[in-house]
Amino acid sequence: MKKIPIIIFLFTLLVMIAIISSCRSTSSLAEAKSGAQLWGENCLRCHNSPSPESFSDEAWDVAVMHMRIRANLTEPEAVKIAKFLKTAN
Amino acid sequence: MKNRYLVFFLFLMFSLVSQKSDAQEVQSTDEIQKLKQEIEHLKNESETYKPGKSNFLLRGYAHSGLQITDEEFSFVGGSFNPLFIYKQSDRLLFESEWELELTGGEVELAIEYANMSYLLSKNLTFRAGKILVPFGIFVPNLHPAWIHKFSAAPLGAGHDGIIPTNDIGLELRGGSYLGDFKVNYSFYAVNGSQLNDGEENPEEAGILHHAIFPDNNKGKTIGSRIGFFPFSDSSLELGFSGMYGKVGAKETEMEDITALHYAFDFSYVKTLSSLSSVLDLKGQFSAVNVDDANYPFHENPDDLITFDNNSSTWFAQASLRPALAENNFVRSLEFAGRYSTLKTPEGSEWETDQTQIDLGINYWIDWRTVFKMSYRISNGAADEHDEEPDGHGGAEGNAFFFHWAIGF
Repeated sequence: MKKIPIIIFLFTLLVMIAIISSCRSTSSLAEAKSGAQLWGENCLRCHNSPSPESFSDEAWDVAVMHMRIRANLTEPEAVKIAKFLKTAN
Repeated sequence: MKNRYLVFFLFLMFSLVSQKSDAQEVQSTDEIQKLKQEIEHLKNESETYKPGKSNFLLRGYAHSGLQITDEEFSFVGGSFNPLFIYKQSDRLLFESEWELELTGGEVELAIEYANMSYLLSKNLTFRAGKILVPFGIFVPNLHPAWIHKFSAAPLGAGHDGIIPTNDIGLELRGGSYLGDFKVNYSFYAVNGSQLNDGEENPEEAGILHHAIFPDNNKGKTIGSRIGFFPFSDSSLELGFSGMYGKVGAKETEMEDITALHYAFDFSYVKTLSSLSSVLDLKGQFSAVNVDDANYPFHENPDDLITFDNNSSTWFAQASLRPALAENNFVRSLEFAGRYSTLKTPEGSEWETDQTQIDLGINYWIDWRTVFKMSYRISNGAADEHDEEPDGHGGAEGNAFFFHWAIGF
C-alpha cells in the first residue's frame, strides 16, 4: 500500500497535465466535422442518437449544455450539435 | 324631355356608385388599420414569450417490469427518475436527478445527484454538489434504465455494489484535443466511502459503504478518470479511473485505514454497413483494496478476525442493433449479451464469488423507449453482498426479466 500514494500522484499528475494542456478545444479534424456527424458520434457512445424533432430550440439549448458537461464535449462540439438539432424546428 | 330624364338617371347612378366606392374604400382602410393594430398587439405579446438566458427543462426516465425466478413471479422495479435541469446562464447550470422507487409497498425517495456546474472555459467545467462519481463508465454514463441494455445492472455496480456511485464534493471535468487525439478528464475530491468496522453488524465488517453523509473522517478522497479516443471517429474510448482516501472513522482504531479504488473501461460503438447494424461493445474492470484491519467475529465479537480486504468485479457486454435495416420491425430490434463477475474477500463474512450471464432481446419503440426481455444465468455463492433484488442488481439464481423503460 506504500506505493499507492505514488501511483495516485502520478495519475493525478497525468490528469492535471491533460487539463493544463487542454488549451485547444478543437483540432483540424474536429473542425472538419459537421454537427450531424458530431451528433451521431457522441450521442451514440452511450444511447441512441436523439431525434432533432424531440425538443424546441430553447429545450435543446438546455439539453445540449447538460450533455456538454455529462459527455465532456468541447464548446465547439456542443455549439455544432445544438445548431444541427435546431434545424428540425 | 327624355334626355333630361336620362341625364338625371345617369347622374343618380353615378352618385350611388361613387358613394358605394367611397364606403368600400373607408371600410378597407379601417380593416387595414385593424390588422395593423392586431399585428402590433401580437408582436408585443410575442416579445413576452421570447426566451431569456435562463431556461428550465424537465427530463428523466421511468421503468418497471416483470421478474420470474424459481421463487417468485412478480411485477417489480416501479421507478420514476425525474431530472431537473436549470440553465441559469450560458455558463451556469444546476441539475438534479431524483429516484422515486416502489420498495416493499412504500415509496423511497433518493437524490441521485444534485450539483451546480460552471463552465470555466471551452473545455473545462467546475462542478460542486452531489455528483455521480466519475469512476468507470457504468455509473456515470450507462445506469439510466432507458440507456443500458438490460433490466438490471451488472454485478458489483448496483447501489450496494463495490463500485462507488454518488458522493458529495468538488470536480473539474472536460474534454479537449491533443492534436487530432481527443481526451476527456475528470479530477475530484469527495467525502469518500466509509468502512464498516463491524461494531454494530459484525457480519458486514470490512464492507465499504458509499454515498453516506456526513463524512466519518476529516480526510477527503481524491480521484480522477481520464479517457482516450484513439480513433478519429470517437468510436473507441479507453478509460482509466482511480480513487484514494481514508475510509475509517475518526478517533477509532481504524482512523488511518485507507482504500484504493481503480478501474479500466472501454467502449466501442461502430456502425457496420455490411451488417446494416450498430455494434456496441462495453466493459469495465473495477477493484478495491482496503488496508488490513482487525474486525470482530460475528459469532463472538470479542474475537478478532482479519482478511485481505480486496474485491473486484468486471463486466463485458455486446449488443447489435440492425438500425439500418429496411424493415421497420427488424430495425427496432436489438440483441444483447453480458457477462459479469463479482469477487469479495475470502475469509470475510460477506465472501462471494459470483458470475452472471445475461442474454436479451430489446425492442425500441423510438429512440428513448424500449421493451427489454432477458434471461439470466447465475452461478456461485450468493450471500450478504448480493445486489438489490430488482432494477439494480438482479435476483438470485436464474431469472427471466421483461421490462419497459422510457426516457423523456
